[in-house]
Amino acid sequence: MSSQRQASSASQVPHLSPAELSYLYTSLSLPKNPIRPDGRSPTQFRPLSAETTILPGTNGSARIGFADGTQAIVGVKAEVEKTVLAADTLDSRSLAQHGDALNREGEEGSAAVSGQGEWVQMSIEIPGFRDDDALPVFLSEMMRESLVGSVAGGDVDGAKEMAGGLKGRLVINKRWHWRLSCFSPNLSHTPSPLLSLTTHLALLSTKLPKLKSTGEEDPFFDDDWAAAEYLYPRSNTSKSSLSAAPSYPVRPPVTLLVIAVGENVIFDPNREEIAVADAVLAISPGIPNSENVNMLGATAGPGEESGGQEEVEGVWRPRRGGVKRSVIARMVKTVLGKGGVGEEVLEGLEGVEVQ
Amino acid sequence: MADRRRINGPPGGTRPPVFASLQESSTGVANRAQRQRQPTELRKIFLKTGLIPTASGSSYLEFEPSASLAAARSNPKSLIPPSSALKLACTVHGPKPLPRSAAFSPNLVLTTHVKYAPFAARKRKGHIRDASERDLGVHLETALRGAIIAERWPKSGLDITLTIIEAEDDRWWGDAPDSHDASWGMMNVLAGCITAASAAIADAHIDCLDLVSGGVAALVSDDSSQSASSAPRLMLDIDPAEHRSILSACVVAYMPARDEITELWLKGDSSRAALDKNDGRTGHEALIDGAVDAARGANTVLAEAVRESIARSFA
Repeated sequence: MSSQRQASSASQVPHLSPAELSYLYTSLSLPKNPIRPDGRSPTQFRPLSAETTILPGTNGSARIGFADGTQAIVGVKAEVEKTVLAADTLDSRSLAQHGDALNREGEEGSAAVSGQGEWVQMSIEIPGFRDDDALPVFLSEMMRESLVGSVAGGDVDGAKEMAGGLKGRLVINKRWHWRLSCFSPNLSHTPSPLLSLTTHLALLSTKLPKLKSTGEEDPFFDDDWAAAEYLYPRSNTSKSSLSAAPSYPVRPPVTLLVIAVGENVIFDPNREEIAVADAVLAISPGIPNSENVNMLGATAGPGEESGGQEEVEGVWRPRRGGVKRSVIARMVKTVLGKGGVGEEVLEGLEGVEVQ
Repeated sequence: MADRRRINGPPGGTRPPVFASLQESSTGVANRAQRQRQPTELRKIFLKTGLIPTASGSSYLEFEPSASLAAARSNPKSLIPPSSALKLACTVHGPKPLPRSAAFSPNLVLTTHVKYAPFAARKRKGHIRDASERDLGVHLETALRGAIIAERWPKSGLDITLTIIEAEDDRWWGDAPDSHDASWGMMNVLAGCITAASAAIADAHIDCLDLVSGGVAALVSDDSSQSASSAPRLMLDIDPAEHRSILSACVVAYMPARDEITELWLKGDSSRAALDKNDGRTGHEALIDGAVDAARGANTVLAEAVRESIARSFA
């Protein structure tokens, strides 16, 4: 039983017959213009509807739904927590200055101003899986990694208050920090890009109470919710002035799922398309002006036609082997290259109004 | 999920008392682990198969301890070791029939378990697998699934269990986590897991397309803040304890005979790599190529271990 549950996201083959899978593979791998089951172009995403701030008990929340009824809900809760540095973490400079002060009760070092990845938690529920099964854990780790991995480029003006990325934003002072918990209770099977988009919107709409205390005091907050500040600061410049020199504000990353079938690179695949893909790549493009890629959780070859001579035409067999480096390079280039799809997606998300 | 069945140690880990006078001498810059190898030089790997007789296939893998660790072992100055070296054991059970209750499967069903021993890392691990261990299991399954010819064993299961006896550090133990901090040690562990599991699968005589081996490459900026302008450099097979700041790292599972990648895990900012002017590659391509080179190196050890395993089975 448990061995069946282990199947990762890529190996979840929908109930299609070998002949149907073979037909799907052939139509997707047509050179130059693949034919997708729902008639989209290779780089076209499914139309979706989104709303934010739907859960009143959270700091931020969002819901995104596809037209076919698939939807994802993500809520973000923030709580204040005391920073505990590991007892063995030492800062040699502070040791040299006041070595006798070492056995103070607190373990806080002077280097605590940068955030830690553990301060962001992510839990995803998928029906039919326990919360400690491999698939939900893998998905949430993938999402969490790209969230905490994003480090803002320091040269951007708008990004100055977000130095150190999301982790840096969570620091209140040396002794206190925010802990973010993202949770996603899902009622239906939810593809990971949808979850990622929803998490993006939920984090954009997340507000933290305004801090009244200063410096190293114990944190004390303004109880006026209207004065709360966004977790990801808004840019004050209007849209029109951005056109000359686009300066992108710091945004939560988005994980895009890309598959390669034959010669084609296809975006936003549905479950059936993933089942016949040669390679599946999850890419989280960073902020566009530094062109960094934050995470590339890639899984190659969940299934494809094998090159053996004993192949019977029209019957689909699971793929063996991996993918060539050139294929991966091409997939990454389509997403991250100048004017690539990643840029397009981030621009599109920029247009979403978050109230 | 609390483990209620056992008496667990304190979650934060325990460590022997260290006195300030000792720390001042041991936390100096000189005592920090430094990379003694060339950027493209890999650590030596010890890999042996068939050490666990009850399993159908097994292997044991160990990385060479870093120079500073070897020095600290021969001439201990502090109770705290400066770095750690990967040690792990892998067992393969199967192919065995699936339980009656399981659904029909035309292919071999692969199950991977990665578990750190409670004492493997500096911070104590629980007896129940936590999120990072499950995550490693999924990565490992992806890496191996493409290599095994699964349709030759319908209705069968294959259990691969890895026990990490000593894990790699995520950073030097005295450093506070900085903004680039991530679980870099996990990536080394994954590369070791892939190589060891591949040897154990070959030891269990399960048909594969090729021997999959794991390799790690990373972009490292070693200099402290005064020369921050220098670009990060590409290094193969990093020991995270030896570097101040790791910007980006990449693990691949690679099949050399087919020149194919079955698993790729890259994280961090790879855009600032110092490449030659006439090098047309982007940062991540250079990283992937570096990791593939590291995997090629590991593969020579792997092939030798498998050859030994075959010789033993015919002896």
